Amino acid sequence: MSPFAAALLQSELLPEGLDISFKALPSVLVVGMLLIFLAIGFVFRVADTENMWVAGRSIGNLENGMAIGANWMSAASYLGMAALIATAGVYGLAFVVGWTTGYFILLIFLAAQLRRFGKYTAPDFVGDRFNSDTARAIGAVTTFLIGFVYAIGQARGMALVGLYIFGDLGFLGLSGYQAMVIIMMSITVGYLTLSGMLGATKNMAVQYVILIVAFVAGLYAVGFANGYSTVLPHIEYGALITTLSAEFSEPFVNASYYLWIATAFSLIVGTCGLPHVLVRFYTVENERTARWSTVWGLLFICILYFSAPAFAAFGTDLYAQNIGAVYGDPGMTSSAADVIVVLAAQLSNLPQWFVGLVAAGGIAAAIATTAGLFIAGSSAISHDIYTTIINPDATQRQQVLVGRLSIVLLGVLTTLAALDPAAPIAALVSYAFSLAGAVLFPMFFLGMWWENTNREGALAGMTTGLTIWGISMVNEVVPTYIGGLEAPLSASLATWMPAIGSALIAVPVVFTVTIVVSLATDEPPMETKKIVRQCHSPEPMRQQQTAEDVVTDGGEEMAADGGRAADDGSTAGPAATEE
Amino acid sequence: MTDNSSHETEDVAATGDRAADDAVTAGDRAVDDAVTAGDRAVDDAVTDGGVATGAAQQHRQTDYLDSEVNLLNPSTPYMREHLRIVWTGFAIWAVIVFGPVTATYVAPGAMTTQMPIISFPLHYFLIAIGAPGGALALSAWYARRRDELDTKYGIDHDDAGDSA
Repeated sequence: MSPFAAALLQSELLPEGLDISFKALPSVLVVGMLLIFLAIGFVFRVADTENMWVAGRSIGNLENGMAIGANWMSAASYLGMAALIATAGVYGLAFVVGWTTGYFILLIFLAAQLRRFGKYTAPDFVGDRFNSDTARAIGAVTTFLIGFVYAIGQARGMALVGLYIFGDLGFLGLSGYQAMVIIMMSITVGYLTLSGMLGATKNMAVQYVILIVAFVAGLYAVGFANGYSTVLPHIEYGALITTLSAEFSEPFVNASYYLWIATAFSLIVGTCGLPHVLVRFYTVENERTARWSTVWGLLFICILYFSAPAFAAFGTDLYAQNIGAVYGDPGMTSSAADVIVVLAAQLSNLPQWFVGLVAAGGIAAAIATTAGLFIAGSSAISHDIYTTIINPDATQRQQVLVGRLSIVLLGVLTTLAALDPAAPIAALVSYAFSLAGAVLFPMFFLGMWWENTNREGALAGMTTGLTIWGISMVNEVVPTYIGGLEAPLSASLATWMPAIGSALIAVPVVFTVTIVVSLATDEPPMETKKIVRQCHSPEPMRQQQTAEDVVTDGGEEMAADGGRAADDGSTAGPAATEE
Repeated sequence: MTDNSSHETEDVAATGDRAADDAVTAGDRAVDDAVTAGDRAVDDAVTDGGVATGAAQQHRQTDYLDSEVNLLNPSTPYMREHLRIVWTGFAIWAVIVFGPVTATYVAPGAMTTQMPIISFPLHYFLIAIGAPGGALALSAWYARRRDELDTKYGIDHDDAGDSA
């Protein structure tokens, strides 16, 4: 087993070197920040489902870009990425590359088309595009699983950083870390239950600003205090690299070229299939805004991602000077690495309130992302499984109630799994990306770009994707939760289809299965094909309009009059049926 | 019938548009406005059954709901042009993302040399900064090209919201 894989499986959860004690000023910062979130959530509280899911679709470029950024910059980016770059060197950069460059693929192939399709959730897309409630259910289960796996990493991050701020609060026989998991998750769920997505969206812009300021200010302060950098630490850390251990920058010492490619590929396609990312495109006014807010979102994400390797370089150097050797045995533990951003600030002897600010940013990152994940996961349950399949006559009240109950359920499951997590933050999150990439990305891509993709093809493809992902998870991750089993069950399977990058194998297989089965069975109905065509038509659509509205209400007229008249004609259509 | 006419006008439209593009680029905002106003007039003429050339007219004559969607076989002039942009961007993207790490695998010696001034090992810089920065620049490039394409075809997204 490589040193990197060994580091992945450590679950030592008391970060060495981190000052674990109750700290008044940083506590006030965190509590104050959370109160601001709750207050904003309260002001924008909502009771009807339309607002709950997509914020009435009224959000512009910049704000949506910030929401994309905040949604993206989870504990995995804020804490986990610097951690992997510090411990796994060049392999850690696969995360920087995968988590940014995937947005370009999303932009050129999917963003605007999905906005035109105009459905609220990933399962809605799959269900409506392939005319199948089974497909919808698989999509919903996948969305729920993604939210769950992804959130475990967030919970681990919140709790580790919480240790620095609130100290060791072990109660009821729980360790300090475990107590912190429960406290932090209760806060997240409480906040989410109060506000719907409109509140969350407004908050996400606020959270983005807090988070990026905390991270970048932390980087500048650490760089300046130790004489590493002055005006542009994002470039200046380059000069430090040669003085660090060779493991930091030498290629393929911690992981193979194949694992690098598999990981980056998985993260890229996962980006294009992640439900809580895609739901952001349903909240914008039109497809042009969908495109530009992706560009803005990527810019906001890059600001953090250019900073993370610099933070990792500074942190690695400070750790080696103050605590011990970073690499080798024992080396830096995965829990210390996961808080290296906070640790670097602490070891730089910066004022306590300032270190607290950096730590608070980490908590904000985790809460913002968990919020988005839980919304997507709960809407999968209440909207796609409950309302669409179980109880089609559900009232608004019932839907909102089921939505809130499923948020609580997700919170409880996540808390339990995070009490003894199987891997560091970034690895946990990557499993969710592999799943999104293997199951949802091929459906979005083929569903949008090949109109003959049909129900049978989609069902076969999604089942194949789930199976492949499941095999790699059972091989490597599940055994760590079960006593007496050693992970991985098969070392050669783990080498060629690593759980962290299983989409590299899954995506081509799922594409092939979907295409072959679609070709072997009947073509989808003409109306479905027309909806796909409408998603690619350059003709603008109105804010509340979906591709289906156009096809069912205005299609005929549009063909005859060339657009204008049909547009006016169909204006009355959907409005009349809705009110 | 729509198919025939759009094929015939395609070449003419392409050259005509290139000229119009140059005019816009060379000139200033006044020219830009003039072009937009001109387009509007042309559009009206088309609606009234008049004769006009250009991509906007092709767009008016295309029934997008009758045109097959297949990534590998685009069926409308708009999608052909759009996909040309998409594939160009995709090819550059693939090189930016997987190029540096592959080059490092093939030629580790050359790729790990130290860069002048900023002192980065070359591979580290290209992966950590080149790839995300490149993707960001490409994204902005794509969004702009797509806006230009919409303008060329006489499509205005800002109007759509108001007319509702």
